[in-house]
Amino acid sequence: VDGSEFPVELAITRIPLKGPPSFTGYLRDITERKQSEKELRRSEAFLAEAQRLSATGSFSWRVATDEIMWSEQLYRIFEFDQAVPVTLELVCMRTHPEDIQSMYDMIDRARRTGSDFEYEHRLQMPDRSVKYLHMVAHGTRDQDGRVEYIGAVQDVTERRLSEEALGKVRSELAHVARVSSLGVMSASIAHEVNQPLSGIITNASTCLRMLAADPPNVDGARETARRTIRDGNRASDVVTRLRALFSKKNATTEWVDLNEAASEVIALSRSELQRNRVILRSELAHDLPPVTGDRVQLQQVILNLLLNALDAMSGVDDRPRQLVIRTERDEGDRARLTVQDAGVGLDTENVERLFEAFYTTKSGGMGIGLSVSRSIIENHHGRLWAAPNEGPGATFSFSIPYRPESATSVHSLGAIRASDVATGQLQATRNQ
Amino acid sequence: MVITSLVSFVGSLVSVVDDDESVRESLPDLLRELGFEVEAFSSGEEFLASECVGETKCLILDIAMPGISGPDLQRELTHRGLEIPIVFITANRDETVRPSLLKQGAVECLFKPFSDTALLDAVNAALRVK
Repeated sequence: VDGSEFPVELAITRIPLKGPPSFTGYLRDITERKQSEKELRRSEAFLAEAQRLSATGSFSWRVATDEIMWSEQLYRIFEFDQAVPVTLELVCMRTHPEDIQSMYDMIDRARRTGSDFEYEHRLQMPDRSVKYLHMVAHGTRDQDGRVEYIGAVQDVTERRLSEEALGKVRSELAHVARVSSLGVMSASIAHEVNQPLSGIITNASTCLRMLAADPPNVDGARETARRTIRDGNRASDVVTRLRALFSKKNATTEWVDLNEAASEVIALSRSELQRNRVILRSELAHDLPPVTGDRVQLQQVILNLLLNALDAMSGVDDRPRQLVIRTERDEGDRARLTVQDAGVGLDTENVERLFEAFYTTKSGGMGIGLSVSRSIIENHHGRLWAAPNEGPGATFSFSIPYRPESATSVHSLGAIRASDVATGQLQATRNQ
Repeated sequence: MVITSLVSFVGSLVSVVDDDESVRESLPDLLRELGFEVEAFSSGEEFLASECVGETKCLILDIAMPGISGPDLQRELTHRGLEIPIVFITANRDETVRPSLLKQGAVECLFKPFSDTALLDAVNAALRVK
């Protein structure tokens, strides 16, 4: 009537009655419906664009029937044609061989419990490239009590790769720190090797003389030969320990006995300690459980703390240069190692500055020791801190957890977190 | 040719002070083969407390030791008026150390590892000092 146009829907159907053909129909104003449809399409486009931008795809999975539906973006992530129906087998085709087992475990768990989960794993594409995916899924039940999951999958490859790159840089930095303490330690290293070498030469000289005597002293000669072998082995041990401490390796994960690790570092530093007239006392706890981590990196931290303590006491002449290395159980299932010196102490205001990269009070020092040490300890899910003593000097401590599930590695995390929705509690389990 | 000590020095008492057990095992044996009488001590304190202090004609002394160091012992002996000739031995090849020790009256400072001839020459030189 007012001249405006509007969309209508017209449906006509024939009525089955006797007589001439009759029709019934309706004409419906579908303006609102068209409007809703338009808004729906727009919101779908929004969603699709958001998924594309964030490299996130979504899915649903009916557990009982294994019916799976994927959003467009998820097809793109997996690089499958949208016409292809999605099955679990298809997903496995793209799953990285090393992560397949943990994926099966996850699926199993989901089937059994129907609870929410979060999961990371890798894909291997046809061209052998690798993608890192992060998945979250929420489990719901339909009116028949059957489980259906709704979830989102994000391609986090770029983030993982840059984390790995960061890990490599840290490793390089740790290596540089090791090498610079190698310079400091070179006198001690020479010392450690020269002791057994001297024994070898002395014993061999004695051996020759004993055999040249009239009559030859064969028993004596035999003893010197035995000592020579022993000293040769000593020298070999020192070289092996040093090579392990200063080689460039990526972080490994293993059981580490902190007492043993500390004892080795102490043995290696013995001559440096002597040269600096430092009295070392070690108080290593008998019942200390092993921690999980990289033995060499942890030894590097212990060495760093020890050398710093020596340095702090280098000007001290009016009191004994006492150094105490202690290990003990810490609360929260952790092992703690402390290095306590009687040196110049700490300025409480500036304690945190000590841990900054390139901060140093030593002229000519590279100053990356404590910063790298802290980051090593943090990678072990621990803490490194410093405090002044009640008397003279300072104490540096680190504390690392010794439960295996507290440690993770950079690669496929494969961590499943089953959240108990009712109580809001989170449980972490290790899946590898 | 088998070299031994100069005839007049055979049987002289040489004392070895070193905290390293393998040195206390090996060095006395060599010195005995070279013709000397030998006593070994694990520390400067042990040596000072012993009866050998007055009898020792040559002291072979490690530099770095826990407790009293080699140079500390040297000072203490001078303080007590005991003029025992000293041959220092050390595993720490620090070139600046030797001149200052010689200046303080040491006969020689040998860097480990040293040959038996170097040892003999040093001990003979020490025994000639008196």
